[in-house]
Amino acid sequence: MGGGVAAVVFPDLIDEWTGLSEFGLGGEFVAAFIAAFVIGNLMMIMTALAGPWAKRKITAAFTDRIAVNRVGPYGLLIIPADAVRLLSKELIVPDGVDRPAWDLGPLIVASSALLGFAFIPFGSGVHLADPETGLIWVFAIASIASVGLVMCGYASNNKYSLLGGLRAVAQNVAYEIPLILTGISVVIFVGSLQMSEIVAAQSQELISIAGVSIPMWFAILNPFAFVLFLAANFAEIGRNPFDTPEAPTEIIAGYQTEYSSVYFVLIYLGEFLHIFLGAAIIATIFLGGPAGPVLPGIVWFLIKLWAVFLLTQWIRSAMPRFRIDQVLVFGWKLLLVGAFLNLILTAVIVGVIT
Amino acid sequence: MSVTEPLTDTETGELDYDAIFEILGDHIIDRESHVHTEAAVVRPDEVQSTLRILREDAGFDHLSCVVSQEYRDRFESVYYLKTYDDPTQEFGVVVPTSRDEPKSQTATGVYETAGWHEREAYDLVGIEYEGHPDLRRILLPESWMGHPLGLDYDQDRPQIVEYREHENPLEGHVEEGETMFINIGPHHPATHGVLHLRVVLDGEQVADLDPDLGYLHRCEEQCCQSGTYRHQIMPYPDRWDYASAGILNEWAYARTAENLADLDVPEYAQILRTMSAELCRICSHMLALGTFCLDIYGDFTAIFMYAMRDRERVQNILEELTGQRMMFNYFRLGGVVWDIPEPRQEFFDLVWDFLDELPAAIDEYHDLITTNEVFQTRTVNTGILEPDVAKQYGCTGPVARASGIDYDLRRDDPYGYYEELDWEVITEDGCDNYSRLLVRMQEVEESAKIIEQCIELLEEWPEDEREIQSNVPRTLKPDPDTETYRAVEGAKGELGIYIRSDGTDKPARFKIRSPCYHNLSVLPEIAEGEYVADMIASLGSLDIILGEVDR
Repeated sequence: MGGGVAAVVFPDLIDEWTGLSEFGLGGEFVAAFIAAFVIGNLMMIMTALAGPWAKRKITAAFTDRIAVNRVGPYGLLIIPADAVRLLSKELIVPDGVDRPAWDLGPLIVASSALLGFAFIPFGSGVHLADPETGLIWVFAIASIASVGLVMCGYASNNKYSLLGGLRAVAQNVAYEIPLILTGISVVIFVGSLQMSEIVAAQSQELISIAGVSIPMWFAILNPFAFVLFLAANFAEIGRNPFDTPEAPTEIIAGYQTEYSSVYFVLIYLGEFLHIFLGAAIIATIFLGGPAGPVLPGIVWFLIKLWAVFLLTQWIRSAMPRFRIDQVLVFGWKLLLVGAFLNLILTAVIVGVIT
Repeated sequence: MSVTEPLTDTETGELDYDAIFEILGDHIIDRESHVHTEAAVVRPDEVQSTLRILREDAGFDHLSCVVSQEYRDRFESVYYLKTYDDPTQEFGVVVPTSRDEPKSQTATGVYETAGWHEREAYDLVGIEYEGHPDLRRILLPESWMGHPLGLDYDQDRPQIVEYREHENPLEGHVEEGETMFINIGPHHPATHGVLHLRVVLDGEQVADLDPDLGYLHRCEEQCCQSGTYRHQIMPYPDRWDYASAGILNEWAYARTAENLADLDVPEYAQILRTMSAELCRICSHMLALGTFCLDIYGDFTAIFMYAMRDRERVQNILEELTGQRMMFNYFRLGGVVWDIPEPRQEFFDLVWDFLDELPAAIDEYHDLITTNEVFQTRTVNTGILEPDVAKQYGCTGPVARASGIDYDLRRDDPYGYYEELDWEVITEDGCDNYSRLLVRMQEVEESAKIIEQCIELLEEWPEDEREIQSNVPRTLKPDPDTETYRAVEGAKGELGIYIRSDGTDKPARFKIRSPCYHNLSVLPEIAEGEYVADMIASLGSLDIILGEVDR
């Protein structure tokens, strides 16, 4: 860990604070475990508790409603109550499902997203691992979810689920490429795949207007790439207007039709985790990561995460869903071309400057 | 097809029945006179040739209603024809068949819409239509024994459902080839009720589609046949199209019964009727808009909630007027049950507030929906319904008007107070899902115009002429064997009622011509070859209410 630049990552900090490093490899392992535990719990609190609550409140605000306000302050405790309710329901296993694929699907969906946060720099030293190939890792892990969705869709022995699974694959294949190509345009600027490097590159000053320094966030430097990446990302994580793999009004939630109880919770959790992982990638490579004035880095990072989450919910309330063929046309014919254009232009510009 | 000129009397412009009988020539074995039209009696093996002459030579391009019934000595199918250009031009074709062998030639092939009509007649009455391409039960389950509207049907006889009916129909079923069979419904979020679509998919595209109805069949026709004209029937219409279009349905019954018993309605009551009916139309169109967008957007989004909010405001007005939010029971034969609640000004203010804020709300919808480019890519040029197809399947209402068919009974076959008011019939010629939405949105504005004029009239109306009901006998007993079919423009289209009286205070046959039923029957034509998502959107744009489809 800690490749080209000797970045200080979260487990090292824990080592330092607790003195665990004295116990050699075993101590380092415990420190790494504690660090992972902290980040994992932070994300679980955000996605499993705050996420669903915020989603309800945000949607309600858009649709002139009040939403949850009965259990606990601001209705917050409805989420634990819902979790208990869902977990205590019967886990219905339909006839003819393909086990163990059917059981593994939800686990993969949820865990793949959680794993991705290991490489995200939250700021204030909270950064679990910082390998040289950080960005590739994140993309690779995030796209494991497609495998989980296909497993869910195929193993459910349900035609709606099968359709949902097929749509998920078709869509992920179509949007993975523009997503990564656009990501690479950032890499060309930075010259490194390491997450800490990407963040550091964005902390430089772009221009200074009337004493206010505008940082070199890639969203500001290359808004075109930012928009491309946003669109590809929403398609990748299956959010509106690209939520065709779920499409409740057409194929009744697609790959998750047959899941109940704890498996449903896992898939639901996985979806939120993927929204937040998508948001984390956007924040890291386009919005300057944890950078920001006054407040500590981690607070800024969380603010950026929630801003992207808010955007997904806003779009959900206001945008119609594309049809699957339109989604694919949009991905292959528009986004992919745009991504290549962006990549070539970036390469040329960077080549000329340096 | 508009060869109607020679058949109308040049002086009065009315239909020249003698001329029609003349071109039918030998096909006629007898003539009948119904309250609203003349009818020709034809032999059961000459149905198609007779109807073809009427369609091609006399211009009757709209098979409005098919009524089937059993008499002591015969079965009878009655085909009521109209023209889309002028629905006051009506004609009937009566086809009696023997009781021993109730077989009659099918009218499918001349009018596609006869397909579902005759399936219903076969299902409920038991007439077999020879040459019908698909004569299955439509409202009752396949395993049903007997025909419930037949005279010798024993309601107390238990229905025996054999064990094989419970078997899994897909047991051992192996799918071959490239297609996939899938059941959409009866419990599906986008079927707008309990509708079951048997769909064969080729990838994402619909290769074949067969609607399966009847899950909400509540014997409404029979309910009405066992109620008295004067009081007991009026609550039922509210339950057909229950999505707040109740008063429009009530009007269908009121118009038919008033026509049958020759009752007058005071002018003041006509204005009240017109106003309340248009309020219902707004309610219904708002719901249609909200649910259609729900199908396109896929979540309970802002539009759905906004549409429900505006519908709620109209419901509040209707609640003030009728005391009810959905099951209004506001009309009475010869008028309405209550005048505007006192103090009247408060009620008028309520309506004015709504009317004042409606344009802003409509603008907001246009902002959110119709000008949204994603929405346009989803709806423009999808779900194409050509005018010819629409006419063949008997489509009416906003569905027909979005295909450019200028047909609105409020203007073409005037009733109520519509003739005196200033409003437009909205048509669009896009023939697609988008046009159907646009028509509904514009009709809301037209309805608002009508309501506005009604309120102005009501405010000024002389105090001593506020007569809400005419004098109607306590017990209505129309003459035996009078038959009539009258229709009004419901929220979904031509909502017609056929009543035959037998001299008692209850109808001998009560038949509902539901616009949703016919609009739904065109779905396979629209959806085959489209993507699943567009099929769902088309279904939403047809705006069916299963309570009215299944009755």
